[in-house]
This record gives sequence, C-alpha cells and structure tokens, in this order.
Amino acid sequence: MNTPFRLDEHRRRPQPPLSAPPDRYFEQLPQRLMQRVQAAEPAAPLAWGWVAALSGPVRTALASGVVLGGFAACFWLSAGPAAPVAPPDSLALVPRQEMVQYLLASDQRVSLTDLAELPAATPELLPADEYLHASPAEVQDALDAQPLEDAYL
Amino acid sequence: MEDQEILLKFRDPASRNVAFNQLVRKYQQKVYWHVRKMVVDHDDADDLTQEVFIKVWNHLENFRQDASLYTWLYRIATNECLSWLQSKRRRFFLPLHDVGAELAAKLEADESLAGDEVERKLQKAILRLPDKQRLVFNLRYYEEMPYEQMAEVTGTSVGALKASYHHAAKKIEQYVNQQSPND
Repeated sequence: MNTPFRLDEHRRRPQPPLSAPPDRYFEQLPQRLMQRVQAAEPAAPLAWGWVAALSGPVRTALASGVVLGGFAACFWLSAGPAAPVAPPDSLALVPRQEMVQYLLASDQRVSLTDLAELPAATPELLPADEYLHASPAEVQDALDAQPLEDAYL
Repeated sequence: MEDQEILLKFRDPASRNVAFNQLVRKYQQKVYWHVRKMVVDHDDADDLTQEVFIKVWNHLENFRQDASLYTWLYRIATNECLSWLQSKRRRFFLPLHDVGAELAAKLEADESLAGDEVERKLQKAILRLPDKQRLVFNLRYYEEMPYEQMAEVTGTSVGALKASYHHAAKKIEQYVNQQSPND
C-alpha cells in the first residue's frame, strides 16, 4: 500500500521545477528596462507641468474657462468691422479751406437738388444758414431767378 | 546598495538612472520568479516583470515608505499577476479550471519536470488552486515569507492567510492522493 502524500513530508524545493530563463536574461533585463523608461520620458521639460500639479476639479474648471474664452474670442473676431466714424464728424476734421479747394478743383458739382436735400436729410447737423451765407430774401431772389423746371426737379 | 540609498538617489534627477538600475539588479530575480510561478510561461513572466518595473519607475518618487521597498515591489508584482490572470480569463471567457489546465499544460511541456512523478502531480495540484490561494501558497511554501509580510503584500489579515494556506495544503494533498500512479 502506498504511503499517502503529505506536503510537510515532501522534499521542499526552493523554486517550482520550471525551466530557467534564457541565457543572460537577467544581465540584459536592466538595460532593456532603462531603454523603455528613457523612451517614455519627454524630450524636454514640459512647460505645462504646472497643469498636472492642479487637482482634478481645478483642471476641469480651467479647461472650461479656456473653451469659453475661445468661443468669446471667435465671436468677437467674427463680428462686423467697428462702426465707422460718423461722416459729419470726419468732415468736421477737414479744414474749411481745404474742403473749398477740393470742391473747386474736383469735378464734383453741387447741384441745387443737393442743397435742397441736405438740410432735409440732416437738419440737426447742418442748418442751411451755416453754409448758404445768405439772407432769406437773397435765397428767395436766387430761387425766383431759376427756371421753373430746375427748381422743382 | 541599501534600499534607503536607492530611494535617496532616485529622488535626485542626476542619479535617478543609476539608482533604478541598481534597484532592478537587486530585485529582478525575486520579482521574475514570483511572477513566473503564477503565470508559468517565461514570455508572459518577462512581459509582466517589465510592467512591474515600469510601474516602479513611475511611482517610486511618491513611495511613502509605509512598507519596505521589497514588500512594495511584491505588492505591485502580485497585483499585476492577478490582474493579468483575471483579464486572460475574461478575454477568453474561461472558467477558473480552464486557466489552471492551460497553465498545467505549459508545465507539462517544461522538460524540467521529467522523471519526477510526485513533483509533477504536486505542481498540477498547485495550478488547480484559485489564483489568490495559489499566490498565498507560493509565498509561504516556496518563499517562506512571514505571514505578517504576506499580509502587507496581499492586504489580507494574518488569520485569513493562515486559513487560506491550510486549505490550500489540504486540497493539494487530496488531489495528489486521488491521482492514480499512472495518471
């Protein structure tokens, strides 16, 4: 009859009987590991290292802020060009002498129709008596002298 | 080089590589064989051993020295082995017994067991144990690690470890005795 197997009576080996690893395995393993960890290292110190030091919620809030800021910047940049300077304001900057020279030298002709429409369009900016330099009687005489079809066209 | 010296040198970027190299040389065989006993195959053990040391590289700077470096390394290696076995089982939908059978088949192919029938049965019996119980058995039977240190490695109480080892030994004896001489 066989003796029953008892673990504490069995000759204990220091290791289970497994085949040894390949030759020079333990000589090469440190070098292989060094290659792996150095390949995984970043090439230069990371300028964004401080982000990693922040806690998770703070990083989330920061990321949200950056995204919202990006949207705001896009919106601002895609809006139309800044409102142009109002023509009366820009015209006011031109010296009167230069303006008269320009009108005399250029081919532009100021017609009576222009003179009639301007006060109607911007009565608050340019009262007619400021540029006509004529009394109502003189204006009336000038109008009476014009042919009827010119005055009402 | 002492563990404390390795840790100090590792914290200095100028000597970090040297310290890590020393650490690997000091503990590679212990880690490798601890892993190898769990996964049997050399290639798998090689992969896992490398993963263990990569984790050590990544986390050693934050190692708080609550336990010794040796215990900490064993804990990482143990967790890697258990995760690997669990993922293998999940990936192939294998029950516990089939993984044990697969490991036993690898062991059978290993020529170092030829001629020793009782040892072959003993190894097959060990491979039939559940992963955690097999781990406890290996640490106690082969490495003769004190139960207190095993408790730090596995995160299990000393009492539970003693009970686990006792049950493992009984299962192994039962399995070996049930096998016919020609099995």
